[in-house]
Amino acid sequence: MFGYQQLYAQGSKRTIVRGKVIDAKTKLPLSGATVIEIDADDRTINGTSTDIDGNFALRVNDPEHNRISGAYINYKPTVLKIKDSANVLLALTGDAAELNDVQVTAYNDEVDNGTGMKIRDRDNTLSTASIQQKEIENLSSPNIAAALEGRLPGVNVSVPTGDPGAGLSIQIRGTATINGSGNPLIVVDGMPYSTTIPSDFNFGTADAEGYAQLLNIAPSDIQDITVLKDAAATALWGSQAANGVLVINTKRGKTGKPAISYSFRGTYSKQPESVPLLNGNQYSTLIPEEVANAGGNPLDISENKEFSFDPLDPYWYFNYSNNTNWIDAITQTGYSQDHSVSMTGGGEKAKYYASVGYYHQDGTTIGTGLDRITAKVNLDYNVSKRIRIRSNFTYAHLNRQLNFLPSSSTTYQIRSVAYNKMPNMSIYEYDIYGNQSPNYFTPESNIQGQYPNTYNPVALAENAKYAQSGDRITPSFQLQYQVVPRALLATFDVQFDINNSGAHTFLPQNATGRPLTESIVNEAKASDGDAYSVTTKTNFIYTPKSNDHNHQFQALLSLQTNDSKANAYNVLTTNTASSEFDYPFNGSRATNSTASLTSTRSEVRSVGTLLQAQYGWLDRYILNAGVRMDGNSRFGPNNRYGFFPSVSARWRLSGENFMKKYSGFIDDLSFRASYGHAGSAPPDKAVWQYFNTYSPYSYTYLGESGVYSTNMELTNLKWQTLVGTNLGFNLWMFKKRFRIDFEVYRNRIKDMFYDALDIPSYTGFGSMPANVGTMDNQGWEALLNTIPLKTKNWQIGFDLNFANNENIIRSISDFYPKTNVESLNTNGKYKTYLQVNNPFGSFYGFKYLGVYSTKDQTVARDAKGNQITDPNGNLLYMRFQYPSVDYVFQPGDAKYADINHDGNIDDKDVVYLGNGLPKITGGFGLNVTFKDRLKLITFFDYKLDYDIVNYADMVTTNMYSFDNQSTAVLSRWRNPGDVTNVPRALYKKGYNWLGSSRYVQDASYVRLQAVTLRYTFQPKLLNKLNIRSAACYVTVENLYTWTSYRGQNPDVSIIGNNSPFAYPVDNALTPPTRNVLVGINLSF
Amino acid sequence: MFRMTKFIKYISLAAILVSLLASCNKWLTVKPQDGLIRDDYWQTKEQLAAAVTGCYESLLDQDVVEDLFVWGEIRADMVVSTLRTSDDAVNIMEDNILPSNSFTEWDPIYRTINNCNTVLEYGPDVIKKDATLTDSAQNVYLAEAHAIRGLMYFYLLRTFGEVPLQVNAVSTDADVEQLEKSTKEQVYNQVITDLKFAEQYAVRSFGSNNRDKGRITKYSVFAMEADAYLWEDKYDSCVIACDSIINSGLYALVDGKTQVNWFNELYYAGNSTEGIFELQFDAQALNPFYNMLISSSNQYIASTDHLSDDIYGLDQTGLTADIRGNNGSYIGTNGTILKYAGASAGEDYTLRTADESYAHWIVYRYADVLLMKAEALCYLNRGQEALDLINMVRDRGQAIDITQESTDPSATEDIARYVLDERAREFAFEGKRWYDLLRYAKRDNYKNLDVLTQAAIVNAPNNIVQTIRNKYKDVNSHYLPINTNELQADKKLVQNPFYGN
Repeated sequence: MFGYQQLYAQGSKRTIVRGKVIDAKTKLPLSGATVIEIDADDRTINGTSTDIDGNFALRVNDPEHNRISGAYINYKPTVLKIKDSANVLLALTGDAAELNDVQVTAYNDEVDNGTGMKIRDRDNTLSTASIQQKEIENLSSPNIAAALEGRLPGVNVSVPTGDPGAGLSIQIRGTATINGSGNPLIVVDGMPYSTTIPSDFNFGTADAEGYAQLLNIAPSDIQDITVLKDAAATALWGSQAANGVLVINTKRGKTGKPAISYSFRGTYSKQPESVPLLNGNQYSTLIPEEVANAGGNPLDISENKEFSFDPLDPYWYFNYSNNTNWIDAITQTGYSQDHSVSMTGGGEKAKYYASVGYYHQDGTTIGTGLDRITAKVNLDYNVSKRIRIRSNFTYAHLNRQLNFLPSSSTTYQIRSVAYNKMPNMSIYEYDIYGNQSPNYFTPESNIQGQYPNTYNPVALAENAKYAQSGDRITPSFQLQYQVVPRALLATFDVQFDINNSGAHTFLPQNATGRPLTESIVNEAKASDGDAYSVTTKTNFIYTPKSNDHNHQFQALLSLQTNDSKANAYNVLTTNTASSEFDYPFNGSRATNSTASLTSTRSEVRSVGTLLQAQYGWLDRYILNAGVRMDGNSRFGPNNRYGFFPSVSARWRLSGENFMKKYSGFIDDLSFRASYGHAGSAPPDKAVWQYFNTYSPYSYTYLGESGVYSTNMELTNLKWQTLVGTNLGFNLWMFKKRFRIDFEVYRNRIKDMFYDALDIPSYTGFGSMPANVGTMDNQGWEALLNTIPLKTKNWQIGFDLNFANNENIIRSISDFYPKTNVESLNTNGKYKTYLQVNNPFGSFYGFKYLGVYSTKDQTVARDAKGNQITDPNGNLLYMRFQYPSVDYVFQPGDAKYADINHDGNIDDKDVVYLGNGLPKITGGFGLNVTFKDRLKLITFFDYKLDYDIVNYADMVTTNMYSFDNQSTAVLSRWRNPGDVTNVPRALYKKGYNWLGSSRYVQDASYVRLQAVTLRYTFQPKLLNKLNIRSAACYVTVENLYTWTSYRGQNPDVSIIGNNSPFAYPVDNALTPPTRNVLVGINLSF
Repeated sequence: MFRMTKFIKYISLAAILVSLLASCNKWLTVKPQDGLIRDDYWQTKEQLAAAVTGCYESLLDQDVVEDLFVWGEIRADMVVSTLRTSDDAVNIMEDNILPSNSFTEWDPIYRTINNCNTVLEYGPDVIKKDATLTDSAQNVYLAEAHAIRGLMYFYLLRTFGEVPLQVNAVSTDADVEQLEKSTKEQVYNQVITDLKFAEQYAVRSFGSNNRDKGRITKYSVFAMEADAYLWEDKYDSCVIACDSIINSGLYALVDGKTQVNWFNELYYAGNSTEGIFELQFDAQALNPFYNMLISSSNQYIASTDHLSDDIYGLDQTGLTADIRGNNGSYIGTNGTILKYAGASAGEDYTLRTADESYAHWIVYRYADVLLMKAEALCYLNRGQEALDLINMVRDRGQAIDITQESTDPSATEDIARYVLDERAREFAFEGKRWYDLLRYAKRDNYKNLDVLTQAAIVNAPNNIVQTIRNKYKDVNSHYLPINTNELQADKKLVQNPFYGN
């Protein structure tokens, strides 16, 4: 590069060129236009700008070879040879807009697999799907992942909780492995972008979805998203890509006058009515009955004054004779606002795109919210025709308010606590004279137990804290260099990712009610985690100059490295001075059994080399082959490197000569096939290491510290290999008005990772991480895009996608269990089996027949209906699990079908109840456009033919504990002779809620997920206001669901749940929120 | 010439590639920075000492002590449930024990065993690397690991009967193998082998009272041996082991003149002159008893009627009372188990707060040695000596006359029963009752099975009494089942036939 510059500086005589720049049409001079001297590679040598009359004078270095160029915003640049004339007249034409359009079209036709190879969509051999910016524009979600839900076949997005900023789980083509990590790799602007924070950031109060870092890219910054689905496609990205790849390109600057855009989005969301729960009076009737039924003795109300209702004891009387609706007390209306401003522009040399966004959300539960600020700058600079520099800079700041979560279990999520809370209790405490005080009423203990069972949910929502904050800066730089012009291109990328997260939790005394001396009082925790990673990518792309229509060849060599470091600190102290002092630094106790001070550090490195080539012959036969070598520091020396080949091909039938006659209406008819291996390194969890480490205990023994062996050395750990096969079919007709893509695939995971393989506990460890077996993940998916009507004023589009996916275990470790429960002898569980070579998803249980109304009905009967007697002639009654449990059914108990008529309900009476895998999933949408101005966009998603367990119904009608129940239990059995479907209340006794057909329902549904009405203002009107374009829209989300399911939310799925024993469970007591959103887009 | 430069070019390219690959391999070796790795450990005697301390620390695991309490007490007659008792615990109390019951899990015990195995496997290497470690010092460390391992297998033997014997350290995934169950005899032999090694090399004293009570000394090994011999009816050996402790003169019964002092010294303060081996909980490592016994979510309470009627007896005049009974071991009015819950005993008893719930778990104490010796003596026809020992313990405890049983030195059976009853009074809630009952019941081919059955049904609801009686006729039911998870993880294990399908 350096020598090259010198070469031109020597041996040429410098001279001054004078001239004028004018508008070609009007012949008027252009003031402030740029005039530059450029060399053969279009590199700028020298430059100046014109004066008020359009005149310029430029000292040129090499008038023999170099040229002179004039440029002005919104004009097409003009280039002349210097030696042609001494006095130059540069006439510019003003049609920059046209120029832009050409560029954009060219861009959209290429499939971006992120590697940098330029492969046109029609030559693509891989299974991919993409979504363009226009479709993303109308979404209300602050997170682009939600944009994908149901819009692309085989892409399944689920939101674990409705809290603001909740992490999303994205599944491409179903469950890939029985191990946790199932999220795809995200590639932003050609570089991998981590969406998880290191697992070391174990910020204590684990929430249900983990502490997932959002994909903090504002949707308005996105140009397009491409999903790579088959193994041959993902093989390019190596070890993190086995779960699929999402390639995201952000917007870049466009040549032209600066354009400023502003967009606004506001949402309103409301929590729908939940399952109706008992009020205080109904609850206080139920509980004593429940206890009396269980033990025969009535509830001792002198011990349990919550139910004594004695006005002479005002403290208890007033505090426990209320009808509190705890759910309403913690619920609020949710709002959000999203503002984003962007600016784009540039000239021939430099282009820029810059944006700033602000997002604010208040959740539907009191105390939850999210603030996010994002900023992005993308710069492109052409040094010369041969050298280009690109730099991207992304910043995101996140502040998230959540509800405190006392333990890793979801049982104590604030909404669950509120559902279970006794409704006769008061929110605010009454004093001993019966006067209400402003203090939250949180007794040290009552019949529901003590902390954490007696949380006051309102105190928890208002006073307890769980705040997460994050700052992430991701600068990246790219240098492109044409080593041999138009033949060999080299690109060098480096990306730094600085991701700092913090969390702060506080549990005040007034939410737990514990005495002030205890170490659970005013527990404050602060955590800080810093992650830093450097990713590099060096690509060499070779395209022979000899390429013509008959021979198309491209080859890529890519070298990739990654080094990720993370460290985290946690401080937990207790007994801060009062509930107002919520930070550990406020002064608190740091040495007791609860307090802790921990820190972790970790580092992972990986390298990858990829060699790939694509060859197209006669535009009909296209072959792509590649091999990738990966190395990862998580493996021991024996298995550190892996080699993963891939091959794919496309045959364009429509290109054959005999098909030429149909070319009038067939654009493309192709068949594709691919086969590839892709290796996975173990997930980012501390357990996966090939070193046996010793750690100290957190306490001492007689003042001495001891160590123990914390984990096993994973000597035998191998790469998990995905062997993917994909067959595809494309039919594009009528100038792309009709498009069908169809894919059949099988992803076989060999040496599947599993974190916690149960091993015999005599090893000293309960479980170990290991490669456990082989699993197939197979199915098919189809995508249909049509434009059935297209007239001058009207356009109607209809899109439909559907997919089916199933998982089959092909072989499994001996240590892996074969069923989830040995015997169905406890309430609330269904039985599932792991059967090699059979798909997942079936679950089994008892058949529910209602309630035994009288004692007579509990008599055991044989197949003919005759009563069964013992050898002495005494009547035998129905029993449960004789002899191990041997419970005799009583009147009022649930009645289960005695399938084998032996008078004993046991595992032999277990029957098939349903299958939790939907036969078909997908989405469809109808779009109507009138005069390009008014647009109606609808989007439906659906899942068909599957069964789910209504767990919410189970726990709100089991009458088994002191938790509040739904009003359905008002029809419970109470006296012999009562005929009902709801068994009697029985505190911690009996078998009234065994996994049975009572809670299983078909959950097929079609949901109108979103309806958008969008209006684009007429340019005539806008021109007067100096506005380039303007549009506004209204979207309603989750408008209506067609289903026969009786629970709250049929949209639960076991896809994404990684256990072969999973069955879909509806835990929701409240249906998903309904959101209304309005948005405005303006561009100046 | 031209060809030569090309050749050199290729050579250097190849050289660069090879060195790149080598440096790549080095670059990919990333040792964890937040833990010591085994390859770097076992270099100094301090590291060996820390690993041995780790064996003790693992005994403070909440699950270990909870298991010792649950296994030793709740199937027997002195503990009953509350509204808040977990289903699994209620099922054990009602002898409705399923292989899925969480109290049948081995994990906590085998975690300690693996800590010991690790010391025993890698500990002997240290001496080669650290010249300042002497043979005898090394053997003291190994003796401690052997004794703890022996004690753990002894608990497993008494609770499960047959368990797999794991005597090798598991430190890599290649070490994981599926073992078969060992017979009771093999497990017992392992216990004795471990204890014999410990007996030979353990120290007599560490030079500090707390360490003498909290770590393995020769005398704690003798106590374990005595207990193990008694389990297998080896009375002579038991007496010898007990005598080794008694004759040392290092131990004595804590004075029992006042209930308050007795409780304070023996249970609240801990490490008394009576203690032989006590697990040293402290403010940093609390025991699990606060939530199990004290707070308003208590799960286990004393069976007060049974204790006052049948165990300690009631003096109708009200003038005398066994200090170990009401307001000593438990609170008669509400059933609180005071031994681990109390800050002080007596009528004005107070309870421990959550942050002082660190009562030691007493594994062996002097009174235990006296009564074990008494039990052995009566089968050796040395009845009078046995009675003397019983009376020693009774006098200290101010046992009331109504609980005095036999004075005839030749009535072996009666004295043995007397020892059993006295042990109930002395060691109430100390995790010994079920083992005492089972040892007594199984002797002479289950001659006294009814004693065990009777204890099991004392607190059972009427409708399941007959079921329990039937179950107890099968002696395999006296041992807990192998947990479902173990059976799934190890196909070679065979379920206890009573629970088998």
